[in-house]
Amino acid sequence: MTEETRAPRDLRPEGPYPPTEEMLAEPVPEDVQKGQRERLRAPWKTPEGWRYWSAVNNSEVGVWYTLTAFGFMLLAGILALLMRLQLAVPDNDILDADRFNQFFTMHGSAMMFLFAVPMFEAFSILILPAFLGARDMPFPRLSAYGYWSFLIGGVFVLGSVLFDAAPKAGWFMYPPLATEELGIGSDIWLLGLSFIEVASIAAAVELIVGTLKCRPPGMRVNMMPLYAWYVLVVGGMILFAFPPLIAGDFLFELERSFDWPFFDATRGGDPLLWQHLFWIFGHPEVYIVFLPSIAIAAMIVPTVAQRPIVGYSWIVLSAVGTGFLSFGLWVHHMFTTGLPTISLGFFSAASEAVVIPTGIQLFAFVATLMVGRVKMSLPMLWISGALAIFVAGGLTGVMLAIVPFNWQVHDTYFIVAHLHYTLFGGMVFPVIAGVYYFFPFIAKRILSERLGRIAFWLVFVGFNVTFFPMHIVGLEGMPRRVFTYPEGAGWGFWNMVSTLGAFVVAAGFAVFVYDLFRPKGHQGIIPRNPWRAGTLEWSHQIPDEAWGVRSIPYITSRYPLWDQEQIVERMDAGRYYLPDAETGERETLVTSVIDARPLHIQPVTGPAWITHVAAGFTGGAFIFPTFHLYPPAIVCAVLAVAAIIYWLWTSTARPPAQRMRDAGLGLRLPTYASGVNAPGWWGVWITMLGDATAFASLVFGFFFYWTARPDFPPEGALHAAPVWVALATGAFALSWGATVAARRVNRDGAEGRAMALLAGGAALTVLGGAAVILSVLALDPVSHVYPALMWALMVWLVAHGGVGLVMQLYCVAGLAAGKLTRDFDADLCNITLFWHFLALTAVTVGAVLGIAPRLFG
Amino acid sequence: MIDGSHDTSHTEDRAAPRPKEEKRAFAEEKASLWRITFGPAIWAIHFVASYGATAVFCAKFGHGTESILPFRLSVGAATLLVLAAIAWLGWRSWQQWGYLQTGDYENALANEEDRTEFLGHAAFLLSIVSFVGVIYTGLPVLFVESCR
Repeated sequence: MTEETRAPRDLRPEGPYPPTEEMLAEPVPEDVQKGQRERLRAPWKTPEGWRYWSAVNNSEVGVWYTLTAFGFMLLAGILALLMRLQLAVPDNDILDADRFNQFFTMHGSAMMFLFAVPMFEAFSILILPAFLGARDMPFPRLSAYGYWSFLIGGVFVLGSVLFDAAPKAGWFMYPPLATEELGIGSDIWLLGLSFIEVASIAAAVELIVGTLKCRPPGMRVNMMPLYAWYVLVVGGMILFAFPPLIAGDFLFELERSFDWPFFDATRGGDPLLWQHLFWIFGHPEVYIVFLPSIAIAAMIVPTVAQRPIVGYSWIVLSAVGTGFLSFGLWVHHMFTTGLPTISLGFFSAASEAVVIPTGIQLFAFVATLMVGRVKMSLPMLWISGALAIFVAGGLTGVMLAIVPFNWQVHDTYFIVAHLHYTLFGGMVFPVIAGVYYFFPFIAKRILSERLGRIAFWLVFVGFNVTFFPMHIVGLEGMPRRVFTYPEGAGWGFWNMVSTLGAFVVAAGFAVFVYDLFRPKGHQGIIPRNPWRAGTLEWSHQIPDEAWGVRSIPYITSRYPLWDQEQIVERMDAGRYYLPDAETGERETLVTSVIDARPLHIQPVTGPAWITHVAAGFTGGAFIFPTFHLYPPAIVCAVLAVAAIIYWLWTSTARPPAQRMRDAGLGLRLPTYASGVNAPGWWGVWITMLGDATAFASLVFGFFFYWTARPDFPPEGALHAAPVWVALATGAFALSWGATVAARRVNRDGAEGRAMALLAGGAALTVLGGAAVILSVLALDPVSHVYPALMWALMVWLVAHGGVGLVMQLYCVAGLAAGKLTRDFDADLCNITLFWHFLALTAVTVGAVLGIAPRLFG
Repeated sequence: MIDGSHDTSHTEDRAAPRPKEEKRAFAEEKASLWRITFGPAIWAIHFVASYGATAVFCAKFGHGTESILPFRLSVGAATLLVLAAIAWLGWRSWQQWGYLQTGDYENALANEEDRTEFLGHAAFLLSIVSFVGVIYTGLPVLFVESCR
């Protein structure tokens, strides 16, 4: 068989791999280099003028994302300063109670949802491809969509402060306070932040796939930069931590909008379910924030010590171990809710156990510094400050994990002190260290050593002056979240000290911001690798080139710039892979998961406005319901879906002109992949893992009510109609079967039969959706939590069925238009994967609606 | 499916034959990223099961300060089983690491042997952490005598 007749899935890379030293030593003629550079520069060119904002390249989106998150952080910081002013003296009246409540709620929410988590994603989008020697992330437009969604959602949520309409029930929104609260504050929180969480998950999917599939050839798992390991772990944690909160938000908003009583104890609901769902998210989230920041330290420490990290495996162990153990801590936020002592004991134990892996990574850093030749550079100064503060916060954490102590200081300023020590030490300081360290890479400029030291000492001293006294007033009994306190309480002195410290911190940040934005044109051309680091990002080019790397290197060391001679010269000369862009399109290399062998050449999407349109309408779909404006919300949702379909149809998984192409160094690679080799398939798989977690959280709700409430399901309650339930489950199962069969017959070349199967599947999907609606129609969701939960499961299944339906029709259209063919069936493989999950969802819903109540009733 | 089996590349990465050549075919099957998560995953399952069992048992059958010895014994027995499973995993990964044969602590080289040994090394360390974690989780049933 020839190349042109074989299906692309049967095509294999051809040619020598790995490259020999002779191949690498052979110079590339200068005129060839020049031609390659010109051809490569064209597709990667950053748009100019107003079109600049249509860019999707990771270096542009990453910078916008980082600056936006940093801007939100500064605004949330201003809220904190205003609160400190109010608390400076007893019985103060600068802010009234209502405004104070809005401010502390927004301060916490913004710092967590608009700064800490997005900052990890923003920073990773910015620098991860460079660590991996990749041209870009695998799905650049998804990054851009995530960014614009984040911007819209963030401005909406934070903007509410200006209209005196901000949420005010605390950043964890406990019901019944938050469900009963009048006004739209809680809705803004729920819908605005859900919108941002979706964007966060999108970024996590992108980062995981990037780490697994876009590494340079030769970079096996034992050679990844530690940052990439942390990205994998944190991405995985986001997939399992955010969905429970999304499920919680879903139930919460159904209660706020339609009065379905999930958290209302008078109608069988239970406010504790929210606490569980929130903290299953909330505690891992602390580590989601902490791990990537410590990953920055793991990149800086070896450079400062000028030697490889000590205990690479130990750091991988601690990242993975912390990732897991951090999910066993959530109830330590709920020690005062009256759970059995044994249950508290489990969580107390896990909270102590997580200290072990966390401690190991800190010791590995200290060991590296001890055996290396350390120069106290500016980034290292910030890392040292981070370690000092984080260790202090960690130690109060060990105290708080002990149940009786926790009871004593629950909801006092001791907690405020603890959490700021962990977050400042575990996140703010390392991120600033990262800014100083990576600034020459990001901006091709150098920040001031002198200003940096001034900023450090202001922030470090100011931080301790602000937060250390909070331990004391906390132990003296000052509760958190009070807008004022009486003179007689005796807390006045320490509060004044804290307020003064807060302004010292602010002064430090002002110096830092000035240093970031002051003009630096006079610096001219800066050194390429100013810290003499060993990892790939320092092969960047000065002046800047938008292509990321000139050619994608072959890696044989954890620190290629230290160990592989001439690697930078050869990258520059285009000696390695993909040195050219013959087709005039953006491309990157996709490699295998474990050993990073080259698999195929992946086209990458370029600048677009469709992402803005999609993000804008998605925003409308989330924002209009805040004001109970449902018709415009529905219109927006439909338009958002239409925009996304247009985007996918026009730019993803299109049949390539050539099936195999030269990738450099004599290697020929396929230009198309479907199924398990395609990054898109991994994207679907990882997204659906998160989606399945959210669904599992809803099902957990059923068992939670059954455990916690004697009247669930209530005696004599009306159940879902068994015939309709059975019909719905059957229809979804058959539709799944039709989809799987369509993929198979399509591969045999029977495209017409595949279309018929998919169309039949679509009809079955509609039938299944209708049947599940009919099955619960007789139940009144307002009357009790049991029918409400049945309705919620129905809504979940119908929504997913809708997505499955669109996917089936998309593939019918693809087959009809020749976008999807026997040979180029990535779309069909991806939707089949989605349908595996949907079938599982449908069967589970069927079991919970139809069987479980009769079993447990 | 995070493993090497989908590595459809034909291009082979055969350097000069190495001492452990004959073991390699076997070792390649062990090259899975999933495997390093088995230890902590067992910890997680044990943790959730212990918590879930306690929640259901205490909600449905536990009353005040009444002794729940049989329940505690069953959780204790399950804990010992889980510890044995993690110990076995740890032993397997210790062998995969092969520290005593190779004396290699860093596993930093660009070949299949180091990659396999690295995964063994990481899995071994994670088994230790998981083992300690499970002991911690088991402690409450050792000390707390009722559902109060």
